[in-house]
Amino acid sequence: MNLTQQLVNGIVLGHAYALIAIGWTVLLGVARLVNFGHGQMYMLGAFVTWYGISRLGLPYILAIPLAMLVGVAVGYVMQRVMLQLTLKQDLVSIMIVTLGFGYVLHGAAALFFGSTGQILSTPLSMEDVYWGDLWFTYQDIAIVIVAILFFAALKYIIDRTRLGRLARMVAEDPQLAELAGINVKRVYLGVFAFEGAAVALAAALVAPRTPILTSMGFDEVIITFVVVVLGGIGSVLGSYLAGLALGLFVAFFGAFVSPAYAMAAAFAVLIAVLVIRPGGLAVSPGGR
Amino acid sequence: MIMNTGLKTILFAAPAVLGFFVPMALGGSGAVYAACVLVAIFAVMSYGLDIIVSDLGEVSLAHTVFFAAGAYTTALLSASAGMGPILSLAGSILVALAVAALLGFVTLQLREFVFSLVTYAVAVVAATIAQNWSFLGGSDGLRGIPPFEISLLGFSARNDQELWPVAYLLLLVAIYMVSSFRRSKLGKAAMMVHLNQRLAVTSGVDPQQTRLQVFLLSAPITASAGWLYAYQRAYISADVLEAYFLILMLTAVVVMGRRLLLGPLAGVALILVQEKFFSFGGYVDKIILGSVLIVSLAFLPNGIIGLFASIRTLFPRRTMPIGKTIPERS
Repeated sequence: MNLTQQLVNGIVLGHAYALIAIGWTVLLGVARLVNFGHGQMYMLGAFVTWYGISRLGLPYILAIPLAMLVGVAVGYVMQRVMLQLTLKQDLVSIMIVTLGFGYVLHGAAALFFGSTGQILSTPLSMEDVYWGDLWFTYQDIAIVIVAILFFAALKYIIDRTRLGRLARMVAEDPQLAELAGINVKRVYLGVFAFEGAAVALAAALVAPRTPILTSMGFDEVIITFVVVVLGGIGSVLGSYLAGLALGLFVAFFGAFVSPAYAMAAAFAVLIAVLVIRPGGLAVSPGGR
Repeated sequence: MIMNTGLKTILFAAPAVLGFFVPMALGGSGAVYAACVLVAIFAVMSYGLDIIVSDLGEVSLAHTVFFAAGAYTTALLSASAGMGPILSLAGSILVALAVAALLGFVTLQLREFVFSLVTYAVAVVAATIAQNWSFLGGSDGLRGIPPFEISLLGFSARNDQELWPVAYLLLLVAIYMVSSFRRSKLGKAAMMVHLNQRLAVTSGVDPQQTRLQVFLLSAPITASAGWLYAYQRAYISADVLEAYFLILMLTAVVVMGRRLLLGPLAGVALILVQEKFFSFGGYVDKIILGSVLIVSLAFLPNGIIGLFASIRTLFPRRTMPIGKTIPERS
């Protein structure tokens, strides 16, 4: 087994994981919200991209915004439905409601797209790059570049702009933010719409790497959990580094031990960290 | 409420006896018995989760693992080791306790969404293991589970109609356990930890110990449902770890209104009647089940029962207002 090849695989996989987790990072770090339907939203993003390319005949570059639009709509509707729970900060109910949404999305997607697996092929995913004895695709390069740009832009927006300050203030103290004249509801709706767009973008870029199934959301979300918790709950830079580390771990574990149990092993790492430092990785709401 | 104990016993015993004749009253066909047995099994499964969600105020997403632990242990002990139902029940409970102790130890310090997130991940990892590990039959699952037979009592159940008394008995035991739990010291401690942790600590309640104890009580209840499910289906595969069971349990727990003793039973019955007799196909049923879950939490804080406040008195419930929102934790 070529070590450098696994390193390349790990870096690509890591950026893919970080990209998938970005919506959750913002939800949690900026608005102190959770979404257990994240995996199904990823699945939906992948299928809308696939539908746009193979059924509507759209070019890949237009199928991506289509998927993101659908993501925004789903995120908005979800938050609209549970807005009262969000304002009450009833996290227990929010968790269950988002699980319910994930289940509905799964049923609706299977009904609309059919339950057979599909291959999402894009112009980039079919172009191979050989560099010495290393192999990757243009899709892989796109994933790495978009992930880095996205994280850099996000870090800038959260830390340096008015928009970022508003969102952080709402996370810190919703009541106080309301008193300060911030439209808290709009911030919550906006954050969820962003989560929908971000996960759809991630899906449009990452999903071409593997066959897509309408049932894949259930386990897809676990990667995001591991990234978010290991990265220090809600930290943008932390999520990026945790995604990268997890990608390298999964690539090497899959190559040298067992690909079937790679996710289980990543999860074991998470458990170990949580047992040693329960809550020790958590940062304050709105944290960076 | 002051009530004569004798009268109280009759009030509880009469519906318990009458409930046994429900399948007969509904025509007694094979499909009715099959549905009733499944309602009883899934209700027991949900009662395990009920005390975690309604009393402890946490969302465990790993209860499918306890259900699967019961089912797989039963399949292994009965099909491979030739043990009878009593031994396989004991085995199921032991395995569930071991899993719950391990999981409880790991998640002892975790609260809220981190707790839910880890329990969800446990469920996904368990599904991966069940699909890949040949000891558990891999993706084929385990076949050849013998019929439910207790030779000591000369009892054997070869179809759903004959299995109904067992399922119904299991259901009564589960309801009795939940009801006694809510009246017990542990139940009150759990509620206190749920509603006001600081008050609980100052009253001498150890929140972590309470959480662990409730967890250890809850797991065997759900596992015993898995035990009977293995006999009912005669084979077990990784699909017992699917999201369906998780969503079913959660919906059953919240749809009628939280902390209603008969809530989970009524919830399961409602869902299964729709799925078995008014089904629109698997995918539409998924949308319906998910939507029921969303609507009952987002728009009906007191569940369906909250809509019909006047018939509330028919359901025995605790004096705590069920509509009370869960306080924010600092």
